[in-house]
Amino acid sequence: MMKKMLSLALTFAMAATLTACGSKAPETTAAPADTKAAGSSAEATTAAGGAAKDVQKIVDRGVLKVGCKSDIPKFSLQNTATGQYEGFEDDLAYEIAGSIFGCSAAEAKEKKLVEFQGVTAKTRGPLLENGEIDLVIATFTITPERKETYNFSTPYYTDAVGLLVNKDSGIKSIENLDGKIIGVAQSSTTKDGFKKYVDEKGLKVNPQFQEFDGYPALAQALATKQIDCFSVDRAILAGYVNDGNQILEDRFAEQDYGVAAAKDNTGLAEAVEKKVTSMLSDGSMKKLQDQWGLQ
Amino acid sequence: MIKGLFDGKRWSALLAAFPEYYIPGFLMTLKISLVGLAVALALGVVFGMFSSSKWKLLKIISRIYVEFIQNTPLALQVMCYYSVLPMLFSSSGFRIPKFVLGVIGVGVYHGAYISEVIRTGIEAIPKGQSEAASSQGFSYLETMYHIILPQTIKIIMPPLANQALNLVKNTSILAMVAGMDLMYFTDSWGADRGYFAQAYFTSAVMYFIICFPLARLARYLEIRSMRLPVAKTLDIQADEEAAC
Repeated sequence: MMKKMLSLALTFAMAATLTACGSKAPETTAAPADTKAAGSSAEATTAAGGAAKDVQKIVDRGVLKVGCKSDIPKFSLQNTATGQYEGFEDDLAYEIAGSIFGCSAAEAKEKKLVEFQGVTAKTRGPLLENGEIDLVIATFTITPERKETYNFSTPYYTDAVGLLVNKDSGIKSIENLDGKIIGVAQSSTTKDGFKKYVDEKGLKVNPQFQEFDGYPALAQALATKQIDCFSVDRAILAGYVNDGNQILEDRFAEQDYGVAAAKDNTGLAEAVEKKVTSMLSDGSMKKLQDQWGLQ
Repeated sequence: MIKGLFDGKRWSALLAAFPEYYIPGFLMTLKISLVGLAVALALGVVFGMFSSSKWKLLKIISRIYVEFIQNTPLALQVMCYYSVLPMLFSSSGFRIPKFVLGVIGVGVYHGAYISEVIRTGIEAIPKGQSEAASSQGFSYLETMYHIILPQTIKIIMPPLANQALNLVKNTSILAMVAGMDLMYFTDSWGADRGYFAQAYFTSAVMYFIICFPLARLARYLEIRSMRLPVAKTLDIQADEEAAC
């Protein structure tokens, strides 16, 4: 009896600590944010332009924290020799930082106003939500569900999903994929896109999908023939083409990449939106894409 | 991450996804755990007895198995079974079913640990016991079965329970190779919607549901093994009465 009581008490104590962790964290983070908000909003109204409090916070900090992929050639690749992030999305991050700090993109790059953090499809959401990073510019596809959780900008790039298969597998087109295993990345929209594309074309292709954590794992699974097809965005796929495999002609599920900010950071999202739309309208976005060899 | 933990909308999204993601994942993990545990116990008993036997060759075989498995990470072993092992059968893409992969993965890994547990358990029994047994004409297997193993049980039960619990938790490594287990579906759903707090919390509860009864069972067996056998004296009395 005594023992039972003790174990019960222990269970409750554990549960209590768990929930305590749960409720305490937001409180502590919220408290300073509120006081700061009161202070900075007063400042903001006096300051010219009246920057939003979340943007002001970034300006005060002096650095914009951006989550980018580190393994996608042309989009965002971390140079293994220098540790620098290089690619179209990284330059876009510099452009946005420039507009926030009121300087040009080249200056932002020079002054190191952007702090990059490598993210994966799995980590970018949580990192953004808990405030580790301010923005995600990491081939992040805009979907209605995600719009409920994050603040997306206007799409800055449109990509389609491609299919990478081994040359010796005998798979020549999407019809050959019936009953095969297609490897996709976690939290990617490939699966739904594939089904929709097949339905639209009226094909009877019913493959099995398996999700992997990260593209190298997928590439390895394809190389060892544990999956028949590696299907992600073509931009990403291009980095994994070698002598033994090929990308099929089929392209489907056109998808839009957007810059994502946390749901609460409406001021930042607005600033990003302004920059992205202006870059789209004056053609500098296109120029940047051409510079990195993207269609 | 903790943000939105008490968001009702997110929990209802989880509830809607529960039958599609968590139920098959839970069942897969449960199946792998149970069969894996059986395999691990079988391997453990066999190799545990090998390493405490008097034949040198058996000892060496057992040592090689234990040292090799104990000193390499499980993740690497599973990766090996996943991508290298099929190549031994054929180069045209033979695939090991995920269930079998899981059973082999955790079974072989924890089999090595359990065999060590059993070896130390057997060695903890004074040598005089097996000498006395052989002087009474017991064979090696009979000595083990009737005299040594029953006594080792209460010694090895706590570390054995440890291994069993670790085995259940280690099945989660299969998520790495799309193992269709609980962790795989947790990652899948969590990443899909971005509701990680809900996804992982629920997953933790489900692992707990498997592990907690197992821990209680081990404790029960441990206590039971410590009880003195009383039933046998009654039998003898009955025989004596019948004889009278």
